[in-house]
Amino acid sequence: MQTSPETRPSLLLRLRNPQDERAWREFLEIYEPLIERLARRRGLQHADARELVQEVLVAVSGTIDRWDPDEAKGSFRGWLSTITRNLTINLLKREGRQTRGTGDSEFARLMNEQPDPVGENTALFDLEYRRRLFQFAAEHVREQFEEATWLAFWKTSVEQRPLVDVCEELRMSRGAIYVARSRVMAKLRKQIEKLEEEI
Amino acid sequence: MVVRVSDCNPDRLKRLLDEQLSDAEQVVVAEHLEDCDSCRSDLESLAAGHEWWDEASSLLNADLDTAEKWHAETSSSVDDSEDADFIVSPLSTVESSVGNVPLDFLEPSDSPAMLGKLGDYDIIEPIGCGGMGVVLKGYDSKLNRFVAVKVLAPHYATSTAARKRFAREAKAAAAVVHPHVLAIHSVDATGRLPFLVMPFVDGESLQERVRRNGQLGTKEVLRIGIQAARGLQAAHEQGLVHRDIKPGNILLERDVERAMLTDFGLARAVDDASMTRSGVIAGTPQFMSPEQARGEAVDHRSDLFSLGSVLYTMCAGRPPFRAETTMGLLRRIIDVDPRPLSEVNSDSPLWLTAIVDKLHAKIADDRFDSAGELADLLEGCLAHVQQPTITPLPDSIPQPAALPMQSRKRTTAFAASLVVAIAALAVAAQPITEWLTQSSTPVANDLGEILPEATSPYSPQDSASAEMGAESVVETASHQTADTSWESDIDQDISLLSQDIDLLDEETPLNEVGIAPGQTETPLDQDGPSPTDSVQE
Repeated sequence: MQTSPETRPSLLLRLRNPQDERAWREFLEIYEPLIERLARRRGLQHADARELVQEVLVAVSGTIDRWDPDEAKGSFRGWLSTITRNLTINLLKREGRQTRGTGDSEFARLMNEQPDPVGENTALFDLEYRRRLFQFAAEHVREQFEEATWLAFWKTSVEQRPLVDVCEELRMSRGAIYVARSRVMAKLRKQIEKLEEEI
Repeated sequence: MVVRVSDCNPDRLKRLLDEQLSDAEQVVVAEHLEDCDSCRSDLESLAAGHEWWDEASSLLNADLDTAEKWHAETSSSVDDSEDADFIVSPLSTVESSVGNVPLDFLEPSDSPAMLGKLGDYDIIEPIGCGGMGVVLKGYDSKLNRFVAVKVLAPHYATSTAARKRFAREAKAAAAVVHPHVLAIHSVDATGRLPFLVMPFVDGESLQERVRRNGQLGTKEVLRIGIQAARGLQAAHEQGLVHRDIKPGNILLERDVERAMLTDFGLARAVDDASMTRSGVIAGTPQFMSPEQARGEAVDHRSDLFSLGSVLYTMCAGRPPFRAETTMGLLRRIIDVDPRPLSEVNSDSPLWLTAIVDKLHAKIADDRFDSAGELADLLEGCLAHVQQPTITPLPDSIPQPAALPMQSRKRTTAFAASLVVAIAALAVAAQPITEWLTQSSTPVANDLGEILPEATSPYSPQDSASAEMGAESVVETASHQTADTSWESDIDQDISLLSQDIDLLDEETPLNEVGIAPGQTETPLDQDGPSPTDSVQE
C-alpha cells in the first residue's frame, strides 16, 4: 500500500469534531445515496428509504464520538452496514404492523450492534459502498476531462458499446479511444484509491 | 512530423497516464495503439487492473434502472440486441427482479447475505439476464464451489413438453465433456422453473471482448477459432448440434484465455418453446445459418456457418450480417454474401477471408465437412502465423477459385445493375448522368477488367472479383441508407436507373468511352480499398 503524505485524518476522526462541517458534508455526499440505495434494494419505497436514511444518520451522529476507530471491533462500515440492515428490517416490520415509532430500548440495542464478524451481511453493503465510491469519483473525474474523452471511456468501458459504433459517433479513431479511456480509467482509479484512504 | 508507429515505449504509456504527454504525442501513441495489441493491453493494465475495468462497468452502469435497461435492450434494433440473450451486460439494482424476470422463485436462504436458495444452491447475486432467462451466481455448499445457475424464463417454462425438452437437451449437452465446452453439473426441471447448474467461470464472453477491443489480431482470432472448432467437433461427434453459435456463447476464461462453448442445444429447446407460443424466433438471428433462417432442418454444418460469422466478427469488430429489422436480417443471411473480410479489416490475411468465405457458403455442402477439418486447418494457419518463415500455409486453404460462387453467380446480373444504382446514390453529389456515362460501360462489359491485376494467389480473380467488388459497393452503400425500407426504395431506383442506362447506352456507343484502368476503379473504390489493396501476405 502506498501512503501519500497529504492524506488527511480519516473522515471518521474528523466527524467526531462537531465543528468540522466539511467532514459531515463529505460523509453525507458519500453515504447518503449509499444508504438510500441499500434501502431501495431491500425493497423500501422512496419515502421509507428517505426515512431510513434519516434514522441511520441520527444513529451515526449519536454514536460517532463513542466510536473508536482503533479498536479491533471491526470496521465502521461493517457497523454501519449492520445498523442499516437492522433499521431497514425494523421499518419493514413497522410497515407490516401499521405501527410507527422507535422504542428507546430498541434504539439502545442498535447502538451496541457489533459488525458482523463473518462479513456475510456486509457483502451487499460493501458492493453498494464500492458502487458509491465509483459514482462519487466518476462525478469528480468527469469534470477534469474534455467531454469527448469522458464519453469515449463511458461508452466503451461502462456501457460496453461496440468500439466501431463509438468511433463513428464521437468521430474519434480507435487509437484515440484507447488513449482516452485509459487516461480516464487511470484517473478514476487514483481518485478512488485516495477516497479509500480518506474515508 | 515523422511518426514511428512501430515504436513500443512503456515509459511513454506511463507518462500518458500521468497526463505528461502533449496532444501531439498523444496522437502518436494513439496511432501506435491501433496497430499494437500488446501496448494496448499494457496501457490498460497500467491505467488499472482488469478488476477495475470490470467494476467500472458493472458499478457505474447500474445508474440505469434495470427495468428501463431491460426495455432498452429488448426493444432496440436487431443490431444492438445481439446480447439479449444469456450473457449480457452486468446488471444492477433491484434484488426482487432481474430484468423482467422476478426472482420470486427463490426460496429463503439460511444466510442473510444470500438472495435466496434454489434447489441445493445458495444464490449470491444475479450475473446477467437475457431473452432466455436469468443467470445467477450460486454457491454449492456441499461441494464448496461457486456455480452459475441458469434459470429459464417463466414464459418458456409453461408447457410440460417444453420443460421436458429443456431437460432432455440439457442432459444431452451435459454428456459432452471437453476442455472447450462448458460443463453442465446438473439439470433440474422439476421445480417451478427449470434450471441448469454450470461451473462459475471468471472471464468474459467473446462478445464482450469484441465490444471492448474491436477487431482482434489474427493470432487471437485463430486461437479462439481453433478452440471453438474443437469444442464443436466434440459435440458434433456425439450427434449434438449447437444451433446458437455466437460470440455471446463463447466464454473466455480469465488469464488462461481458454475459450469455451456454452449453451449447447438449449437454443433448440427454447426455440421450440417460444415458437409454439408466438411463432417468433428466440434470441438474435444474427449468427444463424441460411438454413436456420429459412426454418429448415439443420445439421452440424449449420454450426460451421455460424462459426464463420464468429470468425468474421472477431476480424471485423462487427457481425457480418446486419439489418434494421429481423426480416431484413434473415433475408441478408439467406441471399447476400457479407462484405469481404479483407475489405473490412485490411489486416486480415486473404487466406483467412477465404476460410471464412468457405464457412459462409450458402449451401451446406460447400462448407467444410466437419469442425475437426476446420480446426486442423486453423491450427496449420496458426503455425504459419507464428513462424512464417519456417512453416508454410497449409495446402488445404480454400482457393478463391474453389470458393462456392453459386449465390454470387445467381445474382450477377442483378448485382451489376444494383451497383450502378447504389453507387450512383452514394455519389449523389456528382451529376448522375455524367457519372453513368463513365461507369455504365465497364459494368455493361466486364467488371473484372477494370479491377487491378491480381497480385497474390489469394486475391480475388476473374469474374468473382468483379462481383465481390460490386457487392462491396452494394454493402457499403446500403449501410448509408438508414431508412428501413431501403430495399423497396432501391428496387424503385434500380428500375428508374435501368431505364436511364438503356437510354444512355443508345446514345453513347460503348467503344467510344475510353477508360484507363487506373481511373475506372474510382466509382467502385468510393467506400474503401479494393480487395487487392489489402493483400498482406
